[in-house]
Amino acid sequence: MRKEKYWFKLDNAGKIFPAVSKDNRSNVFRLSFYLDETIDSTILEQAVNKTIPRFEAFAVQLKNGFFWNYFSENHRYFKVEEEPDQLCKYFRSIKNSGYLFKVYYLKNKVTLEMFHAITDGAGALHFLKSIVFQYFKLRGFQLQHDNLILGELPASKKESEDNFVSNYDKNNKIRLKEEKAYHFSGETFKHNWVFFYKIRLDSKQLIALVKEKYQATITQYITALLAFSIYQETVDFRGHKKPLKAFIPVNLRPYFDSVTLRNFSLYIKTSFSSEREWTFEEMLEITKESFKEQLIKEQLHGRINALVGFEKNWLIRMLPLVLKTIAFKIGYNLLGSSINSISLSNLGIVSLPEDLQAKVLDADFVNAGYGVAATLISLKGQTNLILTSPLKDISIMNFLTQTLIKEGLKVVVDTNYKEGYDEIL
Amino acid sequence: MRYCKTCQIHYDTDLIHCIFCNGELEIPENDQTSYKFKPITKKRHLGFFFRLFVFLNFISIFLSLTIDYLTGTPISWSLVVSSTNVYVIAALFILLYPSFWASKFTKMMVATILVVILIGLSIRDVSWAIDYVFPFAAMSVSLVLTALIVSNRKRWFEYFPPLFISILVGLLPGLFILLKIAQVHWPSLVSFIYSAVTLLGVIFLPSKSSREEFKRRFHI
Repeated sequence: MRKEKYWFKLDNAGKIFPAVSKDNRSNVFRLSFYLDETIDSTILEQAVNKTIPRFEAFAVQLKNGFFWNYFSENHRYFKVEEEPDQLCKYFRSIKNSGYLFKVYYLKNKVTLEMFHAITDGAGALHFLKSIVFQYFKLRGFQLQHDNLILGELPASKKESEDNFVSNYDKNNKIRLKEEKAYHFSGETFKHNWVFFYKIRLDSKQLIALVKEKYQATITQYITALLAFSIYQETVDFRGHKKPLKAFIPVNLRPYFDSVTLRNFSLYIKTSFSSEREWTFEEMLEITKESFKEQLIKEQLHGRINALVGFEKNWLIRMLPLVLKTIAFKIGYNLLGSSINSISLSNLGIVSLPEDLQAKVLDADFVNAGYGVAATLISLKGQTNLILTSPLKDISIMNFLTQTLIKEGLKVVVDTNYKEGYDEIL
Repeated sequence: MRYCKTCQIHYDTDLIHCIFCNGELEIPENDQTSYKFKPITKKRHLGFFFRLFVFLNFISIFLSLTIDYLTGTPISWSLVVSSTNVYVIAALFILLYPSFWASKFTKMMVATILVVILIGLSIRDVSWAIDYVFPFAAMSVSLVLTALIVSNRKRWFEYFPPLFISILVGLLPGLFILLKIAQVHWPSLVSFIYSAVTLLGVIFLPSKSSREEFKRRFHI
């Protein structure tokens, strides 16, 4: 039954985003599906509006409380829009019927752009799959969901649960201390435009390479390769006092038996000193060790406890929202944005029902942040490595691409760059 | 698919030159590649005009204060000009920043009361601002918001934060009487009583859903 009234507290990961997001730091990520037909925007809009009520965690608007922000029910009609020319564009929910996500269409592409305060990549993927499935149903196709489309399955209260809080154990905290990381510098594109660079690889070829030659996982290999590309191509890194730090978000759901659609991920990190010489193999070894040390349930649990413990501090809780917002902004500017150099988010394999497999041709997962942000998404035997950057220098992308080619992989690239853009951007 | 011989990269987009080496791409006869994004168009820089507006207002403040100071008499008229300049900038921010209109209305009320008091202080006669403008402005906003809540009870919670702020502002004239800042007491007293009654109404009249809204807004 549809509930008229409900509300949620923001989860631990999402609490900071409303305070620190702005035009050039949107904290919006994108998921796109390329379909086998041109999108009918009217049907897409119907599909979204039919899907939203099933996803209580997303049918919300952000409200200001006296002490904290919170999510309140939202039953307004949702309007889809044509995709804008800017990726992961910052939007004000007040101009979007209160919703904290956007659904765009362009030719055969359906795009979901989600504000990070509401969910992470895994939650958003369920939502997009359900929208696209509903879209084809409304188009008149008879499709079987094979239990892979959440929108077709009964809703569970557990989907709206804040699993950071439900897994909180105040007696098992670990100390969180972050040193500052190396930061990229250089000319950026105008109008907050972000360069999109997609490398399409054959999944089998890639797996064979990383498993047989390097005894690593795809995420470990790409993290090390990205770090090595930066080491090779950035002139001011060597001798720089701060290390290069790669942040890799980890989906916590499998570790804590969670089905939540809200944020439930933490990052692990790997750090490379700028005061020594590196080979790619050494960087990969460090990456593998970091993964091994940090991808342990107890470690992750300890960090959850430390983060939630901070939020449960009485002094912080009693601070009015106006002051918290100022504190978040100052804290984020002083520390938050400077503790990582790059990020790599691997969404894994997109599992679709058999009937939908032929209709979804390709997928994008885009995380536009500071410096270089990388994502991985696999669909139908293809792995897309997507790199985004607001910086005009693309030599890191070039080095990375050439390394993959030298490794014997067939590389197909796509970009949002066009001839003539230099005059505008 | 298009191909760069030098970089050995296949392109699944309609570029003519390689983005790395700028060499011409090989384009096959049956090429079906297309650009998959919305092309960017030149944008107007509205930000510049906004910054210019703020800058000109600051110049106005600086010049008027300097001229007033150089005349040798105590600074007065320049403070009126400066207050107005600051008010205009604040009003522009409030109006341009996308937010719920009731929130804009309340913020404008607070800004207007402040500028009126500042002008009163500048001309060394603040009594008319404190005694009349402040209480009546606070009461009018509370009255408008109460009317909106009564006429749109289903969505009353949308108006709750601005109403709460206007109640708090409306209670202040009571403090002015206690602190002997207000010289004419009746408008301040009326404002205080009206705001207190509205506050009691907010606490005791509402239904279960209103108490739920209270819980949401004040959760710690």
